[in-house]
Amino acid sequence: MKSKKIFAVALACMMTVGSFAGCKKKSDSSSTTASSGSDTTASQTASDSAADPTETEGSTAATEASTYGADEISDYTFLAFMANKEINDGNDIQEELAKRTGVRIKETWNANQDAAEAVGTMIASGDLPDFIDGGNGCKMLAENDCLVAWDDYLKDPAYANLKEMFSDKQWELFRQADGHIYWANVFGKTYGEPKTRTHNDEAFWVQVRVLEDANYPVIETLDEYFALLENYAKKYPKNEDGTEVIPYTALCEGWRYFCIENAPEFLDGYPNDGSVIVQLEGVDKPTIVDYNTTPTAKMYFKKLNEVYNAGIMDPEFATMDYDGYIAKLASGAVLGMCDQNWDFAQINNTFIEKGFDKKGYNYVPLGLVAQKGQTKNQWHAYADVPNVSSGICVTTKCDDPDKAFKFLNTCLDQDIHDLRFWGIEGTDYLVDDNGLYYRTEEMRQNWQSDAYLAKHVCTYSYFPQWGGTSRDGKNAMKPGDQESEFFATLSDPLKKAFDAYGYTAYGDFLRSEHITELGFWYPMYSHSNDMDTTTDYGMAWARMGDCKHEWLPKVVISKDFESDWEKYQKAYKDCKPEVFLEEMQKELDRRIELSK
Amino acid sequence: MKVANNGGAGSVVLKKRITKTELRRQSVLLIIAGLYVIYGIVFYYLPLAGWTMAFENFKLKDGIFGSEKVGFKWFKTLFEDKTFLRIIRNTLAMGVINLISTTVTAIGFAILLSEVRNVMGKKIVQTISYLPHFLSWIVVTSIVKDAFATKGMINELLTSLGIIKTPISFFMHTQYFWPIVAISNVWKETGWNAIIYLATITAIDPSLYEAAAMDGAGRWQRIKHITIPGIRSTIIILLIMNIGNVINAGFEVQYLLGLGVLKPVSETIDIYVLNYGMKNYSLGTAAGIFKTFVSMTLILLFNFIAKKTGDERLF
Amino acid sequence: MFKGKTKHKMSRWDWAFVICNTIFLILFCIVTLYPVLNTLAYSFTDSSEAILKNIHLIPRKPTLAAYKQVFEMKGFQRGLIITVSRTVLGSFLSLFANALLAFIVSRKNFLFKKSLSLFWVITMYASGGLIPSVILMRYLHLTGTFWVYIFPGLVSAFNLLVLRTYMNSLPDSYEESAQLDGAGHLTVFTRIISPLCKPVYATVFLFVAVGHWNSWFDAMVYNRLKEKNTTLQYELQKLLSSLTQLNPTTTSEGKTENMTTEIQVRAAATIATMLPIICLYPFLQRYFVTGLTIGGVKE
Repeated sequence: MKSKKIFAVALACMMTVGSFAGCKKKSDSSSTTASSGSDTTASQTASDSAADPTETEGSTAATEASTYGADEISDYTFLAFMANKEINDGNDIQEELAKRTGVRIKETWNANQDAAEAVGTMIASGDLPDFIDGGNGCKMLAENDCLVAWDDYLKDPAYANLKEMFSDKQWELFRQADGHIYWANVFGKTYGEPKTRTHNDEAFWVQVRVLEDANYPVIETLDEYFALLENYAKKYPKNEDGTEVIPYTALCEGWRYFCIENAPEFLDGYPNDGSVIVQLEGVDKPTIVDYNTTPTAKMYFKKLNEVYNAGIMDPEFATMDYDGYIAKLASGAVLGMCDQNWDFAQINNTFIEKGFDKKGYNYVPLGLVAQKGQTKNQWHAYADVPNVSSGICVTTKCDDPDKAFKFLNTCLDQDIHDLRFWGIEGTDYLVDDNGLYYRTEEMRQNWQSDAYLAKHVCTYSYFPQWGGTSRDGKNAMKPGDQESEFFATLSDPLKKAFDAYGYTAYGDFLRSEHITELGFWYPMYSHSNDMDTTTDYGMAWARMGDCKHEWLPKVVISKDFESDWEKYQKAYKDCKPEVFLEEMQKELDRRIELSK
Repeated sequence: MKVANNGGAGSVVLKKRITKTELRRQSVLLIIAGLYVIYGIVFYYLPLAGWTMAFENFKLKDGIFGSEKVGFKWFKTLFEDKTFLRIIRNTLAMGVINLISTTVTAIGFAILLSEVRNVMGKKIVQTISYLPHFLSWIVVTSIVKDAFATKGMINELLTSLGIIKTPISFFMHTQYFWPIVAISNVWKETGWNAIIYLATITAIDPSLYEAAAMDGAGRWQRIKHITIPGIRSTIIILLIMNIGNVINAGFEVQYLLGLGVLKPVSETIDIYVLNYGMKNYSLGTAAGIFKTFVSMTLILLFNFIAKKTGDERLF
Repeated sequence: MFKGKTKHKMSRWDWAFVICNTIFLILFCIVTLYPVLNTLAYSFTDSSEAILKNIHLIPRKPTLAAYKQVFEMKGFQRGLIITVSRTVLGSFLSLFANALLAFIVSRKNFLFKKSLSLFWVITMYASGGLIPSVILMRYLHLTGTFWVYIFPGLVSAFNLLVLRTYMNSLPDSYEESAQLDGAGHLTVFTRIISPLCKPVYATVFLFVAVGHWNSWFDAMVYNRLKEKNTTLQYELQKLLSSLTQLNPTTTSEGKTENMTTEIQVRAAATIATMLPIICLYPFLQRYFVTGLTIGGVKE
């Protein structure tokens, strides 16, 4: 009885506090200040300044030379929901950037919490940074009026670098339901000629020694791939140090279960739309297809089941965690697996340390397809992939949004960009007679050292940036893409493989089509990432994920594949995937409509 | 001898009338208690207004009281979900197994330790025993996984003893999961949980033991007639409190150990909320209310039983 | 427990018990010590070896690099200061607050004994969730301050009940005689009850201190952007959590980088976390290991 009364009192108290409105106060005023003035001239320059390297050179050169005194430098905060190393106070390049841009950024990294969850609490507590990469919480920030709109800045020629980041059509994709643009994704954008030589994404990987032993064959299908692994393992069941060879393994822990889950979309020759396939052939309009139920999916899992029962696949694959997986890869025991490169790149250090790189344990990617002779293959993306669901935002907490946007704009000036990613000329890189940047071995070592990076280097890695070719037309925007840097770090067995096939980049191994412009809707995962269980389709999506987590390993280890596959498909149907697919189709149609 | 049995003091029903003299006599206590109640209302009861979120489509923008009302929609979602019943079963099963195993081992450990006479040895053992409490579940589960792996310690031990012929792959079969979780919990928390019992045991008057020894009581009898009654009220109180917590069987250990194939037995309510309540505060709150309901029911039930048996109880 | 006073002879059963007990406890120690020592071994191992996950108690390629990385972490010093402050201040305040309330609800003739207990028991199982708490702290102006670590958890039902149970089990005679001497309630609390409660005070102090020492969530939620109020555990948690990140889609990066903290650094962070709080233990331990004679306390 008493507790009831108390609760009633509590409720009443809370009522008086009432509902609260996020962080409304400044959003309106800021957008109006920005629009004052330059409206007329803006629209003209805006229309023809899409991502074309030659045209905009003038505008970037004009906006430099001014330096800022200590009292003119503003300190702003930035938050991203990602693990990263913090840099020291008084970092050399940070100070240099502050002098040249008038802004010093205090970066905070926060990986302890899901971004959306964190953003929810931040809105409730009214505690926001000046800049934020809201991840999957971006939408929530915008809905609660916590962000400053980009629209007026994009029209203003003084912010031409920002406008240049995307084409008009692409910018439209960032537009939210309320008609404004609140963020821009800073990653996956190429300036001019692409220079990428790595393949940072997904593939079926194989140790280069396996290819060498088989005399560098061209591997197209799953059958060929597993035969290759099996033959090698029969020939050399143990490594030189006595470690038993594991021909194939697949991680299926947590969100990393994509290693086993999403191969069917690639095998059918589609790009990584993430949650679905967008089919173009044989239909009257681009159509959403579920890759979990295609014949290819069944063929792929049947093959895995076959190799599991034949003892080719790691018997512990279903129960290993990420640490265990990385330990296996780092020991050099695993001949092949399907994974994203960034997910296992950390083993390279151990390979070098133990001399495994000289023995050919390094992995090269293979772009397998469902049918022999299938030319449809998009494992390697040659086109840019803007993920429109999130990016860098300026919040209403920022006291001078004009200055904040000015800073974002300046980040993309070539000299500032070089300073961020290449460092200081003479100290961090040298320029040869042809104007090409290069590093000495010592400089390369420096940039590997955490201590050096913390005290000297400041990339502002979540602020606007480019990949591809520098505005000088010669150098790469980022050192990792520079040709001289790439080949200087390649081990001998890898070089031999590159030569044997006549390839010059990792991407070549995947034999993907050179599609330079992906469908305008790409990637569809930017929509499924935004879903939550407040909607029917979000609920279906969450259930589908749960179902696959449980069943995919089960069908692989099954003793009776056909019947277990049926059971899986039935359990999958119970999750109502059609509700999810219908929503994805709607989103696809919406995006196509936008592009018209 | 009465030290131990005084625990039931709360049950000695002294029907006090609220009279003016009594109020005046207790004025200091009442004022202080009043301050505590204000504190409790502000910090614990005000936030319960958030329970309204369970009955609406909560949007941050619209606030706790302004969001669209949807009635019992989220509770329906929970109970119409076929897997949810399975999840409740897992949660309760693991909660009960963990509660029993950790309580028994903690009490046993505390008693065995209290029988050690070498003070130095006692201190060392106790310090070591509570160390694993400070390890994160990631560290503990990774060792548990190694130990129960097909080529791990446990399998080697069992095969060398001839108990099994071929190694069991423990994490591929659902029946081993709950015991493994219980073992992990026992391993990590026994020493820590024992602290409270040890503290209580030390409060038992040593003269009782001496008297018993004089009477020729053996070690077992002393444990049975002095030690256990001496910590009985603590055991009961902790037990009742923890029974209210069986619904919070946790998520970390299950999440880290229960990969793919084990999902049918490993998923708990907390994991469910983690998977489905992300960005959906309403569903999470609904699950929270359900948990509170279960907890309070269990508490009231066991408090009532304690009342019947004349033991110390919560209220 | 009563050394030298054993007048009766150790029987054969007694000997058997002592031996079994000793062996059992030693085995128990080995089993519980293993993960700790293994973590210790990892923390001294070079990254190229630790990644292989085959360290068993002995580090390979021993190095202090992992500790260096932890100690040189930005925010380590500031975090340590804040954590120590909140642990010391918070534990004493919390112990006092809980003990005083426990004293009140353990008075036999206290008028609202039952309802007050129920009032606190409910708080143990009913929670409004994160968002309402965050809003509350905002309106109390505790967000972004140090005090947000102290006030919200000052009284906790669990500790309260542990204390109350212990106080209930104390003989009434002390209090009665003191009251006859004209001592007020508060004098009884400070002079009579508290000295008798040393073991349980030590226990609750340990619980609260460990809670304060280990907490990082409140630092993250309420002082996310306030570097000066960061806590050590939050800083270390940043290292540890990158692995358990539950959701891959939290960034705009299009999944292109993996910032998982290496295993040996996680181990070093774990050890760095454990050490100071372990040092606290011996000081409290004497209250509940060596025994305390109630009869010995006389007023």
